[in-house]
Amino acid sequence: MATMGSRLEGGRTAEDVRWTAEELELVEKANGPAAAALMGAGLGVFWLGLLTTLNEASTKIHDWLIFDEGVGPLSGKTIVAVVLWLGSWAVLSVPLWRRNISYGMVIAVTVAFLAMGFIGTFPKFFELFAE
Amino acid sequence: MELTNRETWAALHGMVFGSLFLLAFAGGLAGLWSLRPEWVTISGLRERMLRLKLGVTSMALIAWVTVITGTWIVYPWYRAAPPQGTTDFTDYPRSLLLATPGKEDWHTFGMEWKEHIAWASPILATAVAFIVLYYGSQLIVDKRLRMLTIGLFVAAFAAAGVAGLLGALITKAAPVQ
Repeated sequence: MATMGSRLEGGRTAEDVRWTAEELELVEKANGPAAAALMGAGLGVFWLGLLTTLNEASTKIHDWLIFDEGVGPLSGKTIVAVVLWLGSWAVLSVPLWRRNISYGMVIAVTVAFLAMGFIGTFPKFFELFAE
Repeated sequence: MELTNRETWAALHGMVFGSLFLLAFAGGLAGLWSLRPEWVTISGLRERMLRLKLGVTSMALIAWVTVITGTWIVYPWYRAAPPQGTTDFTDYPRSLLLATPGKEDWHTFGMEWKEHIAWASPILATAVAFIVLYYGSQLIVDKRLRMLTIGLFVAAFAAAGVAGLLGALITKAAPVQ
């Protein structure tokens, strides 16, 4: 019985939702894969912010991140961040794939990583660490 | 009326790919928002879902194409160092901004923010596309997952919006040509 989304909209009853779910021929899927995608995306932005800040804080890291002379350290920052994002998503997906996770926890983790990531990419912040 | 190779790539990056993503956002948002069983019929929801899957997948791909062309094709022209003794920086936008009093911030703040925050957009848009493709019609009855997906979609748009706006303003101050 697909009765996901128990929070009702438009004054509908639980019976109405059950009817809609059946009519749509839904097979309920655990929210673990979505949780992994959401938290993984938060982590992806976090890695981007962390690498941006580390690039300013350390000349050694700055030089290591120059994967391409034309693009400069942005080449390393973006490639490493994307690899870490995909890795984080994959690692999170394995244990969460068939599980149902509390949405509250997913929101808290995702928002925290997103906020840290966005702050890390903000020039007025990462310039504070300029070596 | 001609565009140089560099101007063509800059236009493709910003005015074609970037704008397409930003313009398509409204459609994607409306599609996600309106996945409500009380608003449309079952057949209408199915048709809407197919359109939404195509839309968000295309948007994620366009976001990737936008940041990759921007970073790996246009950006090297922007940041190229002029040869020693150069006094005309017209072909070297970063140097032009840094050498022009009052315009330094377009690079030190504007481009420094744009080049990083832009990459958040395809990451977030890809997660949205995965959720829509994997869960499909379940988003119609799972309101919390739908709202979370909308939140991530808005964050992807905000990141692209900041990058796009700064890109347009920087191009006005010192175009890649």
